[in-house]
Parts: sequence; structure tokens; C-alpha cells
Amino acid sequence: MFLALREFKHAKLRFIMIGMILVLISWLVFILSGLGNGLSALSAATFKNMDADYVIFEEGSRHSMLRSVISEDLSKDLKRLEHVNEAAPMGSQTAVVLRENATSEDEKIDVSLLGINPGTFLEPEVIEGEKLVQGNDQEVIVNDVLKNQGIDLGDTLEIEGTDEIIKVVGFVENESFNHLPAIFMTMDAWRKIHFAAPGSDMGVINPVNAIMLQGEDIILEDINQSVEGIETATKQEAINGIPGYTAENGTIMMMLGFLLAISAFVITVFFYVMTLQKTNQFGILKAIGAGNGFLGRAVVSQVFLLAVISIGVGILLTYGTAMILPEGMPFALDPKLVISYAIVLLVVSVLSSLLSVRKITKIDPLQAIGRVE
Amino acid sequence: MKGIQFENVSKYYQEGERKFTALNQVSISVKPGEFAAVIGPSGSGKSTFLSIAGALLQPSEGNVIINGTNLSDLKPRELSKLRLDQIGFVLQTSNLVPYLTVFDQLLVVKKMKGSITKEDKHFAKDLLDEVDLADKLTKYPDQLSGGERQRTAIARALMNNPNIILADEPTASLDTQRAFEIVELMASGLKARNKAAIMVTHDERLLKYCDKVYQIIDGNLTLLDEQIAIR
Repeated sequence: MFLALREFKHAKLRFIMIGMILVLISWLVFILSGLGNGLSALSAATFKNMDADYVIFEEGSRHSMLRSVISEDLSKDLKRLEHVNEAAPMGSQTAVVLRENATSEDEKIDVSLLGINPGTFLEPEVIEGEKLVQGNDQEVIVNDVLKNQGIDLGDTLEIEGTDEIIKVVGFVENESFNHLPAIFMTMDAWRKIHFAAPGSDMGVINPVNAIMLQGEDIILEDINQSVEGIETATKQEAINGIPGYTAENGTIMMMLGFLLAISAFVITVFFYVMTLQKTNQFGILKAIGAGNGFLGRAVVSQVFLLAVISIGVGILLTYGTAMILPEGMPFALDPKLVISYAIVLLVVSVLSSLLSVRKITKIDPLQAIGRVE
Repeated sequence: MKGIQFENVSKYYQEGERKFTALNQVSISVKPGEFAAVIGPSGSGKSTFLSIAGALLQPSEGNVIINGTNLSDLKPRELSKLRLDQIGFVLQTSNLVPYLTVFDQLLVVKKMKGSITKEDKHFAKDLLDEVDLADKLTKYPDQLSGGERQRTAIARALMNNPNIILADEPTASLDTQRAFEIVELMASGLKARNKAAIMVTHDERLLKYCDKVYQIIDGNLTLLDEQIAIR
């Protein structure tokens, strides 16, 4: 630390420049992580929030709600199985809603309609208004982001392309599906819309898209064997099955990976070149009696300090950026995620300094002698 | 036995097929309070001699004994500790750490051993006072003259209170006046502290400050002169 701090002080410009690179990289890492987090929430919040362990789809649907139609009646059979505590069906449908009797075009809102049975574990907690009631098929609870579009409790909405009218009775938080704000309705109401075309239910009685299971240690083999025509997915597999989810996440993870690799190389090269420049100086210090540990610690603590400060500035800038980003932007900073990426960046930085440390251990103190300059 | 002894020390280098002798059966003893000079043309083995004396290079044959410790028994880590505790180096003018102030140049030596105490700071200030640098404590090497840099190096060499002082061309790149000042300072400082000192130089004008003068030619060391040194 003795040498590290004094060199910082003496060569400010040099260290500010490398620090700026680190600041920019960490800033970008945090923004990307926020964006990735926001996007994945938008894409799959409802699935992520639900307290389910497994999801039952129709056989051959490859874990997608869109491709799956099964009978709700299966849930009775499933509940009887060992380790299965609870089963609840769900249906999904993308739709466009608009306020009843609205005239101007711009009030159309894209939403995900989700059919559930009121009172099951799939019904999210209402933060304002009333819950769903079995039989009141017109009543729905909606994601509170729709308030931004001017939707209030008691408003009635038309669903485009149908004659159905729904009434907002409650608001829920952070519920979106397929990148769209979620509207929860009773299963009967959802069926009326989803299977409006005659024969679109393919003869399935009480059709739904999927059945969510609660229970620990469920043996998938048992389920697949005891019930015909289904496939089982873990909650994570079901989340990955949401269209676009894996692709979006993969892209962002790839960018993050590249950024970490870039920062590793930038730091490695910078400190390695600095070490090469100071070879003679390190040789003299070694001749005087400095051990490898003393000199190695100087470089590592330099990188450590530089990384901590730069990452700290990066975090501040990220939260600053978050404040000026537009409201609708899918950007969600998760402090846990920010801290974990900060730690990863720090570890990568410190590891990058090890090449310089290795170089230092190889410097021969002999070169301090007999060099008349 | 105190001081530094060489017992029939040889150093060979392999140059392709040929074996090249850099030092040939060198024996020398410098006791505490003695200031020895080693002169010789370039390529004579001066640097090899000093490197071996400074525990930076292992001899091919023979023993080097510093303050009673035979260096050939030591591991690299122990050698580095011995350098820190027992040997003070005064190297050429450019050999200060560029980003440390004069004061810190001395303290870093203590830092290598662990922590810096209040006494260490006092001691450093006293040393710098002695070499007439009391008003330059916060200056960096590039703000000093060549003579001031060398005086800092002398103070640094004494910081750990070592028994042996080794000087490698300490007056290179200094003008005559400064060179005399520096060697005079070394000679009086070392005498007062009863240190054993060896200076390698090519500058024969400085020899009057030394007790013994050795010449090294093609790896062979011979005593040239023993005299009453000027103090």
C-alpha cells in the first residue's frame, strides 16, 4: 500500500486514464445487467413470481404455453400423486384492450390475458381493490402499470376482436408475461376469449394451457407415466420456454461476458506494460532487500484500489442513469445483481494483475549493479 | 568475524564452448571501519565482484562471509532478508524510486521489513539532516541535483543500520567537486558508524579517501595500496 498510494499520487494522469476505462466498463456492465433484469422481468415476471415448482404442458409443446392445450380435469389426477401438494391451471392469450366507448386510436393497449382459478396459488396479491371471485367472469385484476395509460378501478375495457367487456376491480404489482402487462381473469372468461372459434379447443374438455404444480421432490417419471399426453417442466424450464426469453438473456449475458473479458485484458496489459517499464526500478528495490511479496502486494493493492474506486464510481453513475431513463424502459437494477457483478469485476481485475506479479518475481536484482547511465 | 570476507571466490560463466572466468580465486577482507576501493577497467570483473559481495549473485567456488554468515548456506528468501538487514547499497544517481519523496525513499526500506515507527521517522530525519537534505524532505528525485540524489542514496543505505556498505560507481555522472563531496561524506559517515565499506569505481581521484585500494584485472584482485586515508 505504501508504494501503491504514492505512485497514484505521483502519476495521477496515468491512473485516472486507466481508471476511466474501468469506470466506463463497469458502468456499461451495470446498465446491461439492469437492462437484462428488466427485460427478463417483463418477459417472465408472472412465471418468476408464481410459487410453483413444476409446470405440466401438453406433450410435444416444448414447454410453451402457446403450443399447449390440456384439460383442467387432469389437475385432479395430478393432485392425487405422491409429493404433489397443489395443482392450479393457467391459460394465456395476447390481446389488445381499449377503454369502452373510446374513440381515439392511441388508447389501445397490448396486454397478456391470463386465465386462472380465483383463490389458487396463481392468483397474485392485490395491492389495491378486490380479488377475483369465481363466477364473476367480467371482473379482472390488472398490472398497475396500466395506470400510466389512465386505467382506474371500476373502468370497463373492451377486448378487441371480441364482444367481451371486462371490468377492472383490482391492481397487482410487477406482473407481466410475454413482455406485456398481465390481466388476470377467471378461467371461464379466458376460455370464452381464447377458444372463441368453434373447434379451436380441439375437443379438450375444460381446456387450459398448462397446470402448475406445487410440491417438493416430485418425481417427473411418475407424472409422465401416470398421466397420458403431457410433458413436465421445471419452473426454470418453463421460463426458458417463454418466446424470446432465452435469446434475450443469452444476448445480454454474452455482452457481459465480453465486457468482463475486455476489462481483464485492458488491466492485464496496462499493468504489465507498466511493470516492464519499471523493471529496473523493481530490480533496485530488490537489491536493497525488497522481497517478491512486498513488490507483488504493491501491484495487487494498486489494482485493487483502482478497481474499487472505479467500480464505485460506475455504480453511482448507473444509479444516476437509472433516474433519467424514461419510465417505460425495461430497466430494473437489482442491488443483489449489482453487488455480484461488482465483485466479479473486482475479482477479474485483481486476477489480471497476477501476470505482472509473475513478471516481478522474475526480475533479477542483479541488474541494479554495474549500470552506469 | 565482523565485516565481509571473500575466501578464494571464483565465478565462471559459460560462453558457448568456452569457460569464461569473471573472478579468479579472489580473497579480500574488509573489517568494520574500513573503507576499501576496488578499481579496474570495464570488463575486469568489478560488477561481478560487487554483485557477489552484495549477495545478488552466487559464486561458482569459494565462500563469502558477511558478518559471520556464510552466504552459500542461504536460500533466496534469506538472501533478500540479509540484503535488507546487513547491506546498504549506494548505486548510481538514477537509482532512486521516481515517485517517492526524499523522506519516503528512506521510509520504504523500513516498510519492506514491516511497519514504520515514530523512531524510524526520527532516524530518517536525522540521517537526512546529516547529509544536509533537511530542507528537501518532500522533494522528488527529479527535483534534486545529482549530488543531492546521491546524498539521498547514502542516507537510504544507512537507514537499516547495516554492517556493510557497498557503493557501485557512486560518483558516476557527477562533476569533480560533487564527486569529492559525496565520497568525503561517505568516508566520514562510515567511519563514524564503524561500517565496513567497499566502493567500486573507475575514478582514481577518489582513492585518497580510502584505507585500502584494490585493483581488479581480468578477474584477479590485487592489493594496490594501503594508506592513511584522508578524512
